[in-house]
Amino acid sequence: MSKNSRRIKIDIEDVLNLPLETRSQEEAKEKKLLSVTEGQLKVYDANINNVDRFLELLSERVTRQLASSMVGCVHCGMCAESCHYVLARPDDPTMTPAYKADQIRKIFKRHMDWTGRIFPRWVHADTPKNDEDLNRLKNIVFGTCSACRRCTMNCPMGVDTALLIRLARGILTELGIVPEGVFNVSRDTWETGNQMGVSEEDYLETLDWMKEELQEELSDPDIDIPVDKEGCDFMYTINPREIKFDPRSIADAAKIFHFAGESWTMPSWGWDQTNFGLFSGDDRLGGFVAKNLYEAAVNLYAKRIIISECGHGYRSTRWEGYNWAEYNQNIPNESVILTLMRYIQEGRIKVDLSKNQEPVTFHDSCNVARSGDLVDEPRWILGRTCSDFREMSPNRTENFCCTGGSGLLSMAEYKPLRMEVAEIKAKQLKDTGAKLVCTICHNCVDGLTDVIKHYELDMKVVQIIELVANALVIDP
Amino acid sequence: MSDFLYILENEVQIVAISFLAIVYVIRVIWLFRFRSQRERTFPAGSERSGILYSMMNIAMPWAMESTRKKPGFYVQFVVFHLGVAAAITATFIIPYWPQLFESRAYVVLFQIVVGAAFFVGVMRLYRRITNPAVRLISTADDYFSLILMTIYFAVAVWAIPNTYEKNEWPLILFFALTAIFLVYVPFSKIGHYLYYPFTRFFIGRTMGHRGVGQTKIRKTAGEGR
Repeated sequence: MSKNSRRIKIDIEDVLNLPLETRSQEEAKEKKLLSVTEGQLKVYDANINNVDRFLELLSERVTRQLASSMVGCVHCGMCAESCHYVLARPDDPTMTPAYKADQIRKIFKRHMDWTGRIFPRWVHADTPKNDEDLNRLKNIVFGTCSACRRCTMNCPMGVDTALLIRLARGILTELGIVPEGVFNVSRDTWETGNQMGVSEEDYLETLDWMKEELQEELSDPDIDIPVDKEGCDFMYTINPREIKFDPRSIADAAKIFHFAGESWTMPSWGWDQTNFGLFSGDDRLGGFVAKNLYEAAVNLYAKRIIISECGHGYRSTRWEGYNWAEYNQNIPNESVILTLMRYIQEGRIKVDLSKNQEPVTFHDSCNVARSGDLVDEPRWILGRTCSDFREMSPNRTENFCCTGGSGLLSMAEYKPLRMEVAEIKAKQLKDTGAKLVCTICHNCVDGLTDVIKHYELDMKVVQIIELVANALVIDP
Repeated sequence: MSDFLYILENEVQIVAISFLAIVYVIRVIWLFRFRSQRERTFPAGSERSGILYSMMNIAMPWAMESTRKKPGFYVQFVVFHLGVAAAITATFIIPYWPQLFESRAYVVLFQIVVGAAFFVGVMRLYRRITNPAVRLISTADDYFSLILMTIYFAVAVWAIPNTYEKNEWPLILFFALTAIFLVYVPFSKIGHYLYYPFTRFFIGRTMGHRGVGQTKIRKTAGEGR
């Protein structure tokens, strides 16, 4: 930590003036990708009036919830100290959540609110003048906020700043004024149905590979990772990261389901429970991904959908996706955390906490704790699978973001700032004295791993499924 | 009492408050013209308890880290808003129930509350000017509203004894400021109390539906360790 406290702070103007990179967008146009030609994936066009289009989209997209958050801010500044960007950069007032929200609020005031229309200077109402202004807005809403909703929870007025940030992101995405990483992930999602561009062949091969590993490990040729099996108790959906970088988590889940005697399947299409639409603010993309998954479950006659450990995936699949897809929920849908909890409660699996002896702490994912409903459940499981559990402080709905939330992991240009403000998270982790930090979010796994590496902490990130699989008591 | 003061205390206030009410109605209609989103999911909590919790949040300083860690700031908030309530109440007491302020105890009580709010107003103004983050987000309206309210409190302390037979000026100033205040409120940040039920309702409904924090319906046996 001392090494980093000596570090020179990043000049925020360098971040806010980062140019718009369009190389990937040009390539997508040249290749005539279907998503581009069919107008699903928007690319930047310098020849159109982007400011007018921005204003048009703003007036179309402001809902009553957003409008009340636009007009409700009293500029009291209470949000400031809830934000890890502010806490790590106390001398930089531009990090204040209300200031960031004001960058979209001022446009709303200038064009849609009465006082701002008549006396714009009186209330800081303003309008973007050109694409450079929109690019600066891009750098603020994508680069200086992880949309963790901590400021929302601490606003006396109940202003949802994270929602305003997402609104601005969504409009900029429609104009192609986005960080290159956001464009790339959106492109992969539109083109392949999953955010990491995993092909169906790779997906099925990885599942086969994991199945074989499990059969060998447990000397049981009957153990299976079923695909497209109809009429099961649940359809299990995962994060593409599990296929690409962490297939062991699929094997761990399959092992637990096997010992619980579960009837389950994975779909060959619609298996990605993550949803970049949440981060980019693109409801169309969000609806596309979510609908794929919901329809896969219906087509397989699954009785419920189970979501593997992922914070934004859980929020998107459990909550937001239905709204984006305008799809009324018709099948129960839960996090695998609840499934594991049920297995332990019902005695379907036995666990021995002495098998996980290293001190472990728990990191609440923003999307699960502040925009979802799971805070006690993971702790309940940890209490039965780990012998030395330590709370971090603050925790639950007050926990700090892993710093990689809201898609920031895919935006390399903002990483130096992200690592600087991760000082808050690093201190929080270090103070626990734990050797393992457990989280139920794949995004947080990568975010926390970056923090641990950057701040040289002696810790490792784990997930619940790994700890449960490790604590399993397998009768001979 | 002069005719001027009489009209200022009565007709002018009625016109100003009617204007405020009409503009508020228009404002609410304006808000309702934006489409509302609804949840299409099975709930994990109770929307009703979420809304209730959210609305009551302001009375629970322990519920938010921002107020829990800054009790002094929360006390300022309470004093300031009590001052607003007391000053506005005084605008009704003076013309319609003047006997109340014949009691020295009531006069002193109101003066203490409003006077304390005046000091908070000064403190808030100092903070708005000296805190770089708050200064950056502050608009002319923020400064004007705060200055207006702070002056209003000072004048209210002076006017509350209602001694028009000795000197009408405190009352003329007080009721003139009240009228200005009533007309200006819907166009300024002072009107935030109109939006409070909306912002709190929406955030409470969402959080309640999703079972965030205190609003969750416990469906399983496992509640923590």
